[in-house]
Amino acid sequence: MSDKPNISSLSRTRFVKNAAARVKAVAKASGDEPKALDDYAANRIVAALHPHVQHLKIAEIIEHGPDMKSFLLEPDRTKGTERLAWFSAGQYLSIHLEVGGASLNRPYSIASSSRDALNGRYRITVKRVEGGVASGYMLDHWQVGGSVLASAPLGEFTYEPLRDAKTVIGVAGGSGITPFRSFAKAIFEGDEDFELVLLYGSRTIGDAVFSDEIAEMAASCPKIRLVNVLSEQKKRGCEHGFITAELIRKYAPEGEYSIFLCGPQAMYRFVDKEIESLGVRRKFVRHELFGEYFHPEQNGDYKGDINAEYTVTVRVAGEEYRIPCRADTTLLRAMEAAGIAAPSDCRSGRCGWCRSQLLAGEVYVPESVDGRRYADKEYGYIHPCCTFPLGDVTIDVPPMGC
Amino acid sequence: MKKYDVIVVGAGNGGLVAAATTAKAGYRTLLLEKHNLPGGCATSFVRGRFEFEPSLHELCSESTHEASRSTSRIFADLGADVPLYFENELFRVIARGEDGYDVTLPAGEAAFVDAMENIVPGCRASVQALFDLNREFDEAQLYMDGGAMNPSVLMDKYGDFVRACGHSVDELFDALGMPEKAQDIIKTYWSYLGVPTDDLNAMHYISLLCAYVEGRPSMPYHRSHELSLALAKAVQGFGGEIRYNTEVTRFLYDVDGAAIGVIAGGETILAKKVISNIIPNNVVNRSYGKRLPASMKKLVNARKLGLTFITIYLGLDCTMQELGVKDYSVFVLGDKNSRAQFDARGEFGMYIVNCLNRPLPESSPEGTCTLFFTLPFMPEDFPEELKPEEYKKFKNGIARKYIEDYEKLMGLSILPHIEEIAVATPVTFARYLGTPGGEIYGYASTEWDNVVNRTVFKDLENRIKNLYFCGGHSIRGDGFPSGYITGEMAALDAIRDLKEGK
Repeated sequence: MSDKPNISSLSRTRFVKNAAARVKAVAKASGDEPKALDDYAANRIVAALHPHVQHLKIAEIIEHGPDMKSFLLEPDRTKGTERLAWFSAGQYLSIHLEVGGASLNRPYSIASSSRDALNGRYRITVKRVEGGVASGYMLDHWQVGGSVLASAPLGEFTYEPLRDAKTVIGVAGGSGITPFRSFAKAIFEGDEDFELVLLYGSRTIGDAVFSDEIAEMAASCPKIRLVNVLSEQKKRGCEHGFITAELIRKYAPEGEYSIFLCGPQAMYRFVDKEIESLGVRRKFVRHELFGEYFHPEQNGDYKGDINAEYTVTVRVAGEEYRIPCRADTTLLRAMEAAGIAAPSDCRSGRCGWCRSQLLAGEVYVPESVDGRRYADKEYGYIHPCCTFPLGDVTIDVPPMGC
Repeated sequence: MKKYDVIVVGAGNGGLVAAATTAKAGYRTLLLEKHNLPGGCATSFVRGRFEFEPSLHELCSESTHEASRSTSRIFADLGADVPLYFENELFRVIARGEDGYDVTLPAGEAAFVDAMENIVPGCRASVQALFDLNREFDEAQLYMDGGAMNPSVLMDKYGDFVRACGHSVDELFDALGMPEKAQDIIKTYWSYLGVPTDDLNAMHYISLLCAYVEGRPSMPYHRSHELSLALAKAVQGFGGEIRYNTEVTRFLYDVDGAAIGVIAGGETILAKKVISNIIPNNVVNRSYGKRLPASMKKLVNARKLGLTFITIYLGLDCTMQELGVKDYSVFVLGDKNSRAQFDARGEFGMYIVNCLNRPLPESSPEGTCTLFFTLPFMPEDFPEELKPEEYKKFKNGIARKYIEDYEKLMGLSILPHIEEIAVATPVTFARYLGTPGGEIYGYASTEWDNVVNRTVFKDLENRIKNLYFCGGHSIRGDGFPSGYITGEMAALDAIRDLKEGK
């Protein structure tokens, strides 16, 4: 025997014994059905937090003037949704609509609190968008008792205690108030823990939906502060003008603070410039979804003919459709108009749910909304919600799924 | 109704390779995936300006000892060309407590053996013996791959291979007389196979260790999503069809119990062969029980679910230099013993922290870096009574605890730099992989259920005609290469049976 370390002391037949042990272990195991997924705690949480769809019913409609309504939604047990999914304040629902042959999904922030969801209610607030097919349909046709098909709660416009500062300056414009109502209510009810200073921009106090309600919560909860910022009205107790760097500085705490923005694109453009002069670190500035992208031709790198109209060949679930798409229209909108049920949630290039394969043709994706994975760009995958055709294109789109 | 030669269920690593392989062989192949992306664990996700790697630490793809079964050979055969970065360092391991250690090990057999001798004088011969054993394993496997295997030849000529096949890592290392400290350090990789070394098959572990040491750890430049897209492209390039957002809800059998197809997305789809990349538990639960052999349910019930993880993904608004991080991969051990590390799950038994910017500086935007924490967890560790509304606090609590621990250990300031954070738990893995309890590693490797036994019993048990399994739950256990390799094996089995008309 050499001195070289060796394993000759180990038995050569042990693996045979292990094999016999296997036969024995299998023989004495139960022959019943294995545990179902629902029998595992982690899978139950998945089912509760991330249902494939939520079947809802309109329980109540609250009017906020001629062009804005809140819809209170409850689970539709007759269709299998027993309870509403819990969410983090700031998240949205993607609402599915079938309107005159078009198949649409639209994201709406949940304006109610997560605690309300436990009690069987979501609230979404819809404002009429000029020329908007979805908002018009919801405002004009949704009735109490009607059915609504919604996604699970989605989105990353949430307060993250390990990331965000203890104080959040909320910058809300118009109907961008809805997630902040949810934040305020969640703080009020003890489900979120941070200081919210809400700068709420409206034209007049009459336009400031939810202002009274939030003020009322603020009155009894020191973590919430509301500042109405009115652009077209001077009113005692309110700021006058726009949400500027100076105004943010006036209400900001000493030290670090986060800024959360939700409002129209014009507000982002204005306030983002203002924020630059504040020297706030990038990590402390969070935006809600940008929303639909319009006017790609205004970008320097756009080389297409914006007045052209192209043909998009869409393959989905083994079918093939040929549909028109104007150069200024995203592939997603063209599919929706043609009644093709294509997946989409955020409609802002971020969430990736509309991810599809570009099989042929050239497209334009504005850089600021290009939320694709690196390899997706390399291998020819696109997010149709922010992709414009530069010629005839062929795409392969996954079906909507469950 | 469209009829296929092969339906592959699940576009994980195994499913992608299986579908590409059958499509390449000219069979009409349909790959069905419930998610809207291929890859399963091999994917990526975007938060803000960061794109995170969700699972891959490193491939041991260029393993020389089983080059015929390496990831790179499989990718090359399928024309899936993904450039890889090769790393010269294996890992840094910090063991706490009395007689703790903090060492960094290099790749390359000679360098590794030298480094170990430096750290634990006198261990050289026993460490060198591991590599010599591994060469015998290669020869034994070549012999077995050759077909006409004679058990007595195997016993006599490849005795050490047979010995290693029947023993645990602890038993084998003890037999070699390896000093305890050297053993502890060399066992660091146990979590890559999911069970502590007293339960871990020695042959399996030594193969893995040598694959990393000799082949060097490697990784794609643009997250493992890149690997999956290259394979998806191969599937399509060979004429295979991939359908996303299409979950298989039912496996179908004929009266004799042979698989004949599936129901997916509400549609009945038939095929001559079905290859499942999803775990047998889910296949059984989606089959009419009477059509399955009772032994299959028994086998599923006898086995123990494998490891899952809690993972923390951080996008930081400073560079790794500013942060003070120097290493790619750091194993932090609460105890030197792997069983104790495993038992102290959730209490710093062991965790791994990776900084991808070390090997791949451009893996996050300029002025930033990412950290990736991996904590072993078992499906049964997940709190049974946790309410959905408590879940976010639960996961953030664990994340804070581990980040603060690492800050303290390494003298770093991480929390103030967090620009993006995502915390994945068994819930996340259950959601995206659809596995019971969110398991990732398939079935736990045990004395009677490890790569050796599984290989021995592959064609003896669990056989349902026309149904084949690949992926982490199949014979080789977890890991990217195992997924790819078993995907190819399942496809080759199916092709063989198609050719023979079986």
